[in-house]
Amino acid sequence: MSHTAHATVVDEKELWNGGVSPFNLSYGKIMMWFFLVSDALTFGGLLSAYGFMRHRFADVWPHAEHVFVHFPFVKGHIPLAYVGLMTFILIMSSVTMVLAVEAGQRKDKKGVIIWMLATIIGGLMFLGSQAWEWYNFIVGTEEGALRWVWNDDQGKYVQQIVHGANMTVNEYGIPQFANFFFFITGFHGFHVFSGVVLNIIIFTQVLNGVMEKRGHYEMVEKVGLYWHFVDLVWVFVFTFFYLL
Amino acid sequence: MHFHDNYPEYEKMAIHGEEEGKKARRVLWNVFWVMLIVTIIELIVGFIAPSKGWTGTFGLKFFFITLTLVKAAGIVLYFMHLKHERTFFKYTILVPYSIFMLYTIFILLTEGTYSMNPRFRNKVDKLYYEQQEKLKNNEHHSENVEH
Repeated sequence: MSHTAHATVVDEKELWNGGVSPFNLSYGKIMMWFFLVSDALTFGGLLSAYGFMRHRFADVWPHAEHVFVHFPFVKGHIPLAYVGLMTFILIMSSVTMVLAVEAGQRKDKKGVIIWMLATIIGGLMFLGSQAWEWYNFIVGTEEGALRWVWNDDQGKYVQQIVHGANMTVNEYGIPQFANFFFFITGFHGFHVFSGVVLNIIIFTQVLNGVMEKRGHYEMVEKVGLYWHFVDLVWVFVFTFFYLL
Repeated sequence: MHFHDNYPEYEKMAIHGEEEGKKARRVLWNVFWVMLIVTIIELIVGFIAPSKGWTGTFGLKFFFITLTLVKAAGIVLYFMHLKHERTFFKYTILVPYSIFMLYTIFILLTEGTYSMNPRFRNKVDKLYYEQQEKLKNNEHHSENVEH
């Protein structure tokens, strides 16, 4: 894991005179980092926009602890517990990923297989949890709530009982909350899905002994970087959507 | 079958033995425990915040955002290994991102709260006020209520 194994200590001033790689990283890893910076800017922009709208409509913005109160197989009003579980699953899968990377640096094929499999399972569990969360948000409560809904026939807003949320009406508050929730957690969920697909591809390659033939497990490090980024984004989504 | 890839010699120095692996794993698990404890603290505070009346206060926001940044630092520095990269590389990743995001947050907060000021709100937000007026007028017609 650490770079203390370097045989020679390089003078940092000499790095840019040519002949050596200034970053001491392979092309693929540097490009993965640059991609992640651009992706982080996208998420940063989305979350900033969310914060802007939330400040703008602070008086009518719903509180997450009144919205996400479900837990599987338990009836009642349990705020934050389910999303806490989701966060735990994703942090855990991030740990198993970093252990797979570490096993790869020891060229321990068995270790990489075990930890990558755990990561893939964790990712699938997270996706399932998110689907369940969306389901509950879309279906809503049995009682529903009285909301102003635009009626095309009458050409004006009329009061209606609304169950759950979609892009135009929201039982819990103003529709902007639902729009941001669907877009940001959906965009993040799509990243998780892509991460699981990438992990499965690399996992198959490890199983087939491709990395052994190459003599290094760098691809595991690259998908690892992507997977940690997905966890990183979730840490922020968790704070701004559920805690604040 | 022979593979041609551009994996350079110096990267192979990152490959380590059993002894160093043990040390690295201990650090990673410690980071995990810190992150887990921070998350549990966040959940407990978030759970009791409404009953204590902390919801929406500056202190609570500051507390949550600080803890979030602690967790983010743990992921980026240890899990993504940025702590052990060259100084130049750290700056290449962190500096441009920080400049863009700090500016975005600054400008959105400034411009966003500008329209919150009641002195300007009516001017910049005519549509919002007209809609509110319409809603108020509609409220008197109870025959519009549908189930």
